[in-house]
Amino acid sequence: MHRYPRWPIHAALILVSVAMLLPFYWVLKTSLTGENIFAYPPSLLPQGIQPFFYVDAWYAIPFARFFLNSVLVAAMVIVANLIFNAAAGYALTKQFRGKTAILFVLLSCMMIPFQATIIPAYLITAELGLLNSYLGLALPAFSHIICIFIFKANFDAIPPSLIQAARIDGVPEWKILLRVMLPLAKPAIATNVILSFIWSWNDFLWPLIIIRDVQMQTMPLGLSTFLAYFEDTTGALYAFCVMVLVPGLLIFLLAQNQFIQGLTSGARKG
Amino acid sequence: MRPWLVNRVTITFATIALVVLLWNLYVAQHDDGILAGTVTGPDGSPVPGAKVVLSERTIVSLDPIAETVTDDQGNFRFTGHDRHRVVLTASKPGVGQSRRLEVRLYFRNQNRELAEPLQLAP
Amino acid sequence: MATEALSARDAARPRRRLFRRQRHREAAFVWCLLLPALAIFLLYRLIPLGWNFLLSFQFWEPTKPAEFAGLYHYEEMFVYDDVFWQALGNTFVYMAMAPISIVAALVLALLVDSRIRGRGVYRTIIFLSYPLMAVAVGVIWRWLYDGKVGLFNYILRSAGLIDAPIAFLETFATAMPAVIVAAIWQIVGFFMIILLTGLQSIPQHLYEAASIDGASRFRQFWRITLPLLRPSLFLCFVIGIIASFTSFDLIYVMTNGGPGHATELLITYIYKVAFTLTQFDYAGALTVVMFLLFLGVALLGNLLAGGEAGKVDITE
Repeated sequence: MHRYPRWPIHAALILVSVAMLLPFYWVLKTSLTGENIFAYPPSLLPQGIQPFFYVDAWYAIPFARFFLNSVLVAAMVIVANLIFNAAAGYALTKQFRGKTAILFVLLSCMMIPFQATIIPAYLITAELGLLNSYLGLALPAFSHIICIFIFKANFDAIPPSLIQAARIDGVPEWKILLRVMLPLAKPAIATNVILSFIWSWNDFLWPLIIIRDVQMQTMPLGLSTFLAYFEDTTGALYAFCVMVLVPGLLIFLLAQNQFIQGLTSGARKG
Repeated sequence: MRPWLVNRVTITFATIALVVLLWNLYVAQHDDGILAGTVTGPDGSPVPGAKVVLSERTIVSLDPIAETVTDDQGNFRFTGHDRHRVVLTASKPGVGQSRRLEVRLYFRNQNRELAEPLQLAP
Repeated sequence: MATEALSARDAARPRRRLFRRQRHREAAFVWCLLLPALAIFLLYRLIPLGWNFLLSFQFWEPTKPAEFAGLYHYEEMFVYDDVFWQALGNTFVYMAMAPISIVAALVLALLVDSRIRGRGVYRTIIFLSYPLMAVAVGVIWRWLYDGKVGLFNYILRSAGLIDAPIAFLETFATAMPAVIVAAIWQIVGFFMIILLTGLQSIPQHLYEAASIDGASRFRQFWRITLPLLRPSLFLCFVIGIIASFTSFDLIYVMTNGGPGHATELLITYIYKVAFTLTQFDYAGALTVVMFLLFLGVALLGNLLAGGEAGKVDITE
């Protein structure tokens, strides 16, 4: 089967990999040297590496505050997603009147991109008095439909005999969910955590709309504000950029498989 | 059997926490904002009584924030400057002025002994 | 699944009345479980959608009571608003990123799918750009496209392809393609992963049988791989379409719709009308048009895919 030589494949993939990694390299190099912000031609290899742009970025903006805001919102979103989605996913494994209608509603909601609802969503959030607040940032992301279906699929795969055994022993339903189902749904939990984290972490449009106070900005919003103030005139922008990217990249690399599984199974569903 | 805490996620985050902790300990030990150095004349000998100005370099501007005068050995010393990017200039009437010396610190108030003297030139 | 649950329930049934009460309690329990998630979707999906439709037929300002406007905003949009038509056209141009990145992703998926050493590493590297924050991606690409010292200008000038530097994002002709390239860079890894999953679900024995029949590799690809990959391909297509309606972050950071309105998409235009001009009613009408277009294109893609892309088995 493998009569053809391998090296062209490697060559092509290496070429593509270089192209994919080049932007990362370039921003990292600029953040560490800053040498070619004004100078032409740019040097391809880093010269005069120093970390001072990171120091500048750290003090030019309330970085710790932005980071904390992002982490807090992400934490709220993750916890809410776990609770809401596990509960809803478990409910959907049962037979009950109106299930078809619920599934229909969920699937139609999936066809409504959040971007198509921003104006009333903003007005509703204002009515609730949640502008400029953590809860306001997190609330729309409290449940993702894809993640509900991921939980449902995982629960469906648990052998029914286990649940029936628990039921015959007289274990109440909510305890079955907590003690029997959830420990067996670890893959779904991992997927839920990572997907809701990444989505919350990267979210930009919603914070841009509802946050007016600098102290409440999340990382992406902070980055765009920084860009608006300083344009491309300083290496600190790229240092900030790297600092914003690293946490997401780290989480992704740690949980790559869960992330990819979640995305592909979720994408398959919608 | 491995304890459940030993996996790459906990190890990664524990390492990060440890590094942050050590860094903060280091910062706490070295944040008196002492910035010390010497001023020399064109011939390389120490200059007493020279005025040294400490300015802050922000991304957009340069603002003087403190000044001091060198002692008999030509040494000067600032404390508690609370900046991370400063510019030093020294001058003495009759002797001359120094170049602007930019000092970049790893964190605000970092202690730093300057190895290079500020050399005055007419 | 359904029959099993029923028979189990039958077996566990002691008396009919007890069973009924238990069933009521179970139904209440199920609805309690569903309620929080449904509340969120009601509050941030269904109500906004309805409100949005309503808003588009009203004159409305935050401080004034609403007045019925009929089709005023739609007339304004379709007849008088040139920027709307430009944004609409741009949105369709931006959609071109879907087929381009699907073809690229298909090639990459086939390459990575061949059993070579280190394919896991290649897969990670190519996918790495997808989970990144789009704002940061925009900042990075702005820098690469920079007119004075950007990397692309350097490469093109070194290769002797251009004489004078081009400010890609500030030139009318190049701004849109430049943004599309950045969007492709970010999404191609995701498409590759979807297609890889599709490729791996094709039964190996089909290829073996084809080899025995003496079919060439090209013929195998054309007759086996492509047809069986159709659902995955159209799934990518639908995702690409969605992205062209929703990718606000990248445009906002890279060009903010400029120069002029050369890279204005519907979503960026809606944002500007709503939140910088505070014409919520008119932005509502724009959103309605965008949503209906999105729905139409997504359903079309779904139809072409044979209804596979958005399918969840309701009967299970």
